[in-house]
Amino acid sequence: MLYEGAVIIKIEDVTFYYESVKVLDGITIEVQRGEFLGLIGPNGSGKTTLLRCISGVLKPRVGVIYVDGQRIDKLKLIEVAQICASVPTELSSEFNLTVSDFVFLGRYPYVKGIWWESKEDEQIVEEVLKSFQLHHLADRKLSEISSGEKQRALLAKAVVQKPKVMLVDEPSAHLDLKYKLEVMEYLKELSRRKITIIAASHDVNLLSKYCDRIIILNSGKIVSFGRPEEVITEELIRKVYGVEATIMRNGNETFVVPKRPLR
Amino acid sequence: MGESIVRQKILRLVMVTVIGLSTLFILFILSLTLGPVEMGFSEALTSLINVLKNGGRTSNINELIVYHIRLPRAICVIGVGIGLSIAGAVMQAIIRNPLVDPYITGVSSGAAFGVCLAMFAGITIVKIPFYTIPLAAFLGALLAFLLTMFLAEASGGMTLSYVLAGVVVGIAFSSFTTIFLVLGGEKLHGALFWLFGSFAYVSWKVVWIVFVPSLSLSIIVLLYARELNVILLGDEQAMQSGLDVQSFKRLMIIITSLLTSVCVAFTGIIGFLGLVVPHIARILMGSDHRILLPTVMLVGANVLMIADIIARTVLKPVELPVGAITSLIGVPFFAYLLIKRGREYVV
Repeated sequence: MLYEGAVIIKIEDVTFYYESVKVLDGITIEVQRGEFLGLIGPNGSGKTTLLRCISGVLKPRVGVIYVDGQRIDKLKLIEVAQICASVPTELSSEFNLTVSDFVFLGRYPYVKGIWWESKEDEQIVEEVLKSFQLHHLADRKLSEISSGEKQRALLAKAVVQKPKVMLVDEPSAHLDLKYKLEVMEYLKELSRRKITIIAASHDVNLLSKYCDRIIILNSGKIVSFGRPEEVITEELIRKVYGVEATIMRNGNETFVVPKRPLR
Repeated sequence: MGESIVRQKILRLVMVTVIGLSTLFILFILSLTLGPVEMGFSEALTSLINVLKNGGRTSNINELIVYHIRLPRAICVIGVGIGLSIAGAVMQAIIRNPLVDPYITGVSSGAAFGVCLAMFAGITIVKIPFYTIPLAAFLGALLAFLLTMFLAEASGGMTLSYVLAGVVVGIAFSSFTTIFLVLGGEKLHGALFWLFGSFAYVSWKVVWIVFVPSLSLSIIVLLYARELNVILLGDEQAMQSGLDVQSFKRLMIIITSLLTSVCVAFTGIIGFLGLVVPHIARILMGSDHRILLPTVMLVGANVLMIADIIARTVLKPVELPVGAITSLIGVPFFAYLLIKRGREYVV
């Protein structure tokens, strides 16, 4: 499969079923290298399922996904993990890993020795811990740190995975306003360093503030795809969310001000 | 941070190994002094050294007792201590559930059932060779583990589902075991004491089929320490980190069933060891399996050694089943975990 180097992800006519329920329906997308792509849509619209398909965890029944020029269904999980890193909404702290134990797990796809990480792995982890202001928390348990710090640890683990693509599910779910913006700034910065970001969220305003392009999903179909100021319209919010809203514009930025649910 | 994280870990690992081996050595010699024939610590030690120097040839009664009766027992205790504790640690990681061990998941009962069935068949149908006993135990253990996993996952896969499913499967297998014990009559009476877990009848022959497999399987598990760390993230995140979760879990289920069955086949059901030991080790050394697993091995060997010493001395000359001692320690511990942390895990 050959195509111009600027395209990092190519999704061709992907359809996915959970048992007999169609969750994704004929999805076709091309994502550019270094693009910050937002995924919005109501509950059950297929956002998380799409991310799962791109991360190789789910195999679509119909259609093909190419990542970095390779068919994802022909790759081993460990090869996918060297290209795509996933950032989940939440992290489990049941077994009380320390922050550095957790971030080190991001090196799993690369460590060659049987047991210990190499000097190089360690250097990468230390740099990333510093850049996420986590190095002073390295020995703390995950259960002892704040939600904002947890979110940074999740991002740090994904970054040490040295991915070309980061798949982020609800990056701001449990965060207050400041941390929400902070996380989005981190992601924006990563996309400037040519890491492609695909972020799914319910926060339309947050995504339209930061993303280069936005995909709106509804019932497993792409309803609209383009620059935030082009796709976010009063009509679209009404159609997709069933909500009457006003769109406000401030220079380049677009805001949705919801008014009332439609009957 | 200063010092490299990996270096710090290696240092801690060396430290825990040195301490663990030292205490184990002392307990080991102490256990050689125990029994109807009184012996001092240094007497036991010299007897052991002499008999080992002479390659197993004994020149006096002390050496005879140490070499043929007490040494195999002590080695077996170490093997079972390691095996059940590692099995517990692996189960807790792959089920991501701190409340499970070979006993609670019913795997031990499955193994015991396999053994009873084989012995029953042995006395009623055909004489079966000694070495088929662990095989029967393994089949029973694997069947029990798969049943528990199936039941727990079919009922929602929540933390307590595994505990409940394990208890149900355990009870079922225990009932079958009881039936076979009754049907077997007097010939299976010896099995009753064995069922509670005891090292009283351990011989050299048993040592090799308990200690060697238990240690080698545990070492194989050590090689997968990083994978066990990754699986703590949960199935989906582990897959996204590059781990083939399905085949890894399958392998670990087989290894833990094997470990449990070699331990149960000759020394009976020793409950709660696999639950308590990984917790102690985690409190001491954290959750990174590269340090945790060696610690689990050492703590497991030490704890079971202490339990066996208690079982032999507390009501001297009567010997208690060691399984009763580990349960006496384990039950309140389990209750504590259930009260303190069960709530967090229910949903």
